[in-house]
Parts: sequence; structure tokens; C-alpha cells
Amino acid sequence: MKERMAIPNLGNYTVALASMVKGMGAEPWWSTYTNDHAMALGIAAAPESVCLPFKAHLGHFIAADDAGVENALMVNSIGACRLNYYRGLLEDTLKDMNRNIRVFGLGFDGFKPPVFRYLDPPIIPLLRAVFLGLEKVKTIDTIEVETARTRAREENTGESSLLMEQCLRELSEINNKKEVQLFHKDVPGRFARIAVNKSREPLRVGLVGEVSLLRDRQLNQNLEQVLGHRGVEIRNFFLLGGEIGNNFGISMGYKQQTAKQLAVVARPYLESEVGGHARDSIAHTINCARAGFDAMVHVCPTGCMPEVSIRPILRKVSGDMNIPVLELSFDEHTCALGMVTRVEAFLDILWARRGRGMKTYSAGRSF
Amino acid sequence: MKIGIPRAFYYYSYPGLWECFFRKLGHEPVVSSLSTQKTLETASAQTETENCLPQKLFDGHVLSLIGKVDAVFVPRIHSIVKKHNCCPRFGALLDATRAGIARGVRLVSTEINETETPLAKTLLTLARTNLGADRKTAKIAVAEALKAMERHHREEVAGQQAQAGKQKYLLLGHPYTLHDQFIAAPIVDKLKQLQTQPELMTFGDNDKAPGDILWCVFDKMHHKLQNIDKRLYRGVIQITTFNCGADSMMAERFRRVCKQKGVPYMLLMVDEHTDKAGLDTRLEAFVDSLSWKDLPI
Repeated sequence: MKERMAIPNLGNYTVALASMVKGMGAEPWWSTYTNDHAMALGIAAAPESVCLPFKAHLGHFIAADDAGVENALMVNSIGACRLNYYRGLLEDTLKDMNRNIRVFGLGFDGFKPPVFRYLDPPIIPLLRAVFLGLEKVKTIDTIEVETARTRAREENTGESSLLMEQCLRELSEINNKKEVQLFHKDVPGRFARIAVNKSREPLRVGLVGEVSLLRDRQLNQNLEQVLGHRGVEIRNFFLLGGEIGNNFGISMGYKQQTAKQLAVVARPYLESEVGGHARDSIAHTINCARAGFDAMVHVCPTGCMPEVSIRPILRKVSGDMNIPVLELSFDEHTCALGMVTRVEAFLDILWARRGRGMKTYSAGRSF
Repeated sequence: MKIGIPRAFYYYSYPGLWECFFRKLGHEPVVSSLSTQKTLETASAQTETENCLPQKLFDGHVLSLIGKVDAVFVPRIHSIVKKHNCCPRFGALLDATRAGIARGVRLVSTEINETETPLAKTLLTLARTNLGADRKTAKIAVAEALKAMERHHREEVAGQQAQAGKQKYLLLGHPYTLHDQFIAAPIVDKLKQLQTQPELMTFGDNDKAPGDILWCVFDKMHHKLQNIDKRLYRGVIQITTFNCGADSMMAERFRRVCKQKGVPYMLLMVDEHTDKAGLDTRLEAFVDSLSWKDLPI
């Protein structure tokens, strides 16, 4: 029997990661969000003041171990932020709990990642799976963008979210690149069939901040839907396709500014890289202010090292460029009510700005 | 020109360097006074709430300097030791200070990146371009400043010499927590009161080969713990500050190393406490329980 492999959540993109893992010769164990049970396990086992994504990773892997999964895969970095040390601490913690799950790092771990050495997948099926995965990433980018657009305008609340789930389910079943491409072409048409109120002028809000918080709907307490159902068109600035395209210099459908271009944009306010996506958050905020967005929401886990340290800068950008920024920190909350209240109050203010003519709707293409 | 140096972060990472450097260049260095409860209170009212305690103290020190000096010295620090990096906070420190608490205040700054440029060269550029010193004065100032720092490091190490026949308590923490009047001083005092000998971790040695920890202070601490002799040290006390991200990852790891080495380990977290009773109780309990080792059974 094939060995199983747990993959951490990258929101809906986990669908694509799963098919890549399949190509490595392992059976993926995944979900598109960390569930309550896994969160509880992670919170109980993790050191108290580590950041929330660590607890999510740990909980997810413990739950996987309980289910008898032998391996786990995670992305690690070499940056200045805590993510660099996740794997070591995860391994130590799991070992102390007498758990046998093996944790593999992918990316920046030497020329040939140990996971390939261990599973030793044949090269051609592996490449095929990687290309299939990348194709799915592109498709999910489209699904994300389409969902955000229709959700703010739909006549029957919740229809876009349902369609998104439906699309993801169907996509996860497909095992052929050609079929994914055909499916991809079909996506905008399917979203166009949702009944929308064309006269509505939704608020346009950009989401920036820390990646797992932007993507895992358990961690961000379903922020995208909370905003969307209140008539806000969001632009989530973590689209994996765009990110991969920039890092590897390949075309991935959605073009977004490269890290270098963003650095130039952020330069008047922040001259150096901080770590994580901190500089990008500043640059996107500046871009959005210029593009006529109504506001930004900056999300990060409580105490996130890079994102918290740039908050004073973000506040200055907000004042200088007249774009309201809502800073949301997420921690081990089990109820979303606090966040919802803050978001509603914020949206009231944004609508008031529209009402007083301080801001008008600008229907630019989301970049 | 009066140049203010906040007594926080890089003041402790480069002991003695900045005062000497600015004085030799013909400026008047003004170091903010020791941290107190008041420093923290002023800062807490203005700073970002989620900041770690040392950052709040830094903000407090900057605030205390504003108005008294012509410019405040705030560098942007990417790495202090070659092939290592710093907490992300240090990379954003200059821009965040400029945008936040020191808005509109003149800042003297430079970019410290030991991995790319050695410190001497960084200082020379700072003196020549930012402070307009001539070549000769600049060179002398740099040489003197580096010497002063060396001397401080040597004195620090010499000050930690053991009293004969006594086991020591090793205090771990960042340079800016270990030497801070508000954070570590009450702990050191209490340990002395309990008739024990505390040893503060020193960071002068930069020649070690880099380990797998990229944060330079933690790499040095890890190295120290791995070579710790349990006959010389009775226990290890790590001083951490609330919301320090780096500590939260590393404390667990150090605890494991200490366990492996057979040295008792305790983690003490300091926040905006107004009272030290909690610290006292924990220190007394730790020292008491370890003193039982001396009793004949």
C-alpha cells in the first residue's frame, strides 16, 4: 500500500498541492482548512507564545498521525522570520509526544529535497504531476478571483461560495492536464451564470498580510466570506499562481508585480526587506490607494514578527495616501464575533465615506 | 551636533562603540538614561500595542530623547554577525521609527549588514557621507570606536569570572534584555541577594562557525549550551520578554539541550509588570530547590 503524506493547508491551493503529492507516489492527506479539532490539538501541544500558523501546522500533523499517516510535508524558508525554525520545533515536539510521523521540508533544503530521496518517485510521472499541479494552481487563481467578484454582487447570498466549493471538489477529481485546461476555460462562464445585481457598486477592499492567515479560512475566521457577504469586493493579494510565476520567472496566468517592482513601489516608506511578505503589504497598500480601492485589511497572527513591525509604516501610508487600513490580529479565538463586529464597524465608516462623496466607486480591473 | 542614542537594542549589541565613535567625530553623544517603569509607560501610550517589550522600551528611549538632541541615531540592521541575520524587527526599525514615534525628527542612520560589509567600512561610510567628517578624523574615530567595543567585551567577560568553589547560574537572553535596567536588573539583583553567583551571557566572540540557527544571538547561546559543563553551572535561567517571537521558538530548543546536558533550566518571562513579587517567588523556588543538591543524603 502507498504511504500517506499529510500536507499543510494553503487554503484552496491545497487541492493543487495534493495532486502534486500524488505524483510523488504518496497518498495525500489534506483538507482546505485546519479544522477545529486539529486547532485544539495544536494549541494544546505547542509552546504558548509561538505564532498561530505553527499551531495550525502542529495540530494538523498530530491529527494526521492519529489517522495513521506516516509522512508530512511542509514548506520551509530561509528568511529572518520564525517560519525558518518551524520544522525543527515541529520535529522536536512530535518526538516528545512519541509520535512517529516524519516531517519533510520542501524548498530551500538542498538540491534534491529529502522527500524525493525518501520516496524516490520516477521522474516522468513526477514532472507530469508537477505540471498538472501548476495547471490547477492557475485554475484556482481564477476561481478565487471570480468568487471574490461575484460574491459582492450576488442576488442570493452564499451562491458564489457554494459554486466555489463545487468547483474545487470537481477540480480535485481531475487527473489530467488537458481536462484541467478545459475545466479552467469553463470557470468564468459558470460564475457568470450566478444572478447578480449589476447596479450595485460594492466597496473594493484589498487583503494583505501573512500568507497562512490570508489563505486558511479557519485561521482568518472566514474573513473573505464575512466581507463578501456584506457587499465588499475583495482582492486577496496572495494568489499562489502569481507568486510562483514571479519566483520562478514563468507565466502563470495571473500576472502580478514581481518582488523587485514591489520593492520600488514601497521604497519611499520602507527601504529594506523585512521578512515574510511585509514589504509586499506596504507596496500593495500604496498600489491600491492609487487604484482607487476603498480600504485595505491587513491580517496577521498575533505577534507576527515582520507584519507587526511594519504597522507604524502602514499607518503612515494610510494617512498620507488617504486609504483606511484595518489591522486585524488573529489568535486562538474560537468565535469570530469580535472580528465580525470590527469589520462591520469599519465597513460602516467606508459606506459613510461613499455617502458623503469623499470616495466614489472606481471599477478598475483588479490587478 | 548633539546625537541621541537610545539605550536599547543596538546600544547593547555594540557596547561602548557609539559614544566613542560620535565623540571622536566631534559630536556630542547623548545616551538616554536607564530604563524605568516611566520609560515604558510613556512608550506604551504611543507605540504599537503588539510590539515586544524591548521594542516598547526602545520607543520609550527615543521619545525621551526627542527635543533634547539635534538628531537621533537609528540604524537599519540586517546582520550583526557575518552569515547570520537578525530579528525582522531590526530591518524595519529605521523606517518604522521614522513613520511612527519619531515622525519629523532628524535621524542619523546607516545600514549595518555584516554579511556584506564589515563594520569598520560601514562606520567609515557613516562618518564620511552622513556626518561629513574628513578622511583622517573618520579613520581615527572608527579605529578608536572599535577598540572601545573590544575593551567593553573583554571587561564583560572578565567581570563574569567565577568565585572559587562556587557554581554559577547562567543567564541567557538578548544583550538588550540582559543589560537592561528594567528587564534583567531585578533578576540579577535578586540572584545576588540569594547568595548565588549569576553569570550573564556574553556576545563578544564572533568567530564561531555558523550553526543551523541564523539568528546570531541564539546561535551563540546554543553554542554555549552545547559546550556547557554541568560542574561549573548549577542552572540556566533564560530571560525572555513578552511577545518576543524569536524567544518563543528558541526557548523550547534550549530547554531540550539543557535536559540532555543535565543542567536545570528555567524560563522567566518579563512583561510590563509593576511589581517584582512574581519574579522573586520563582527565583527563590528555583534556587532553593537546587540548593538541596548540597545537602548530604
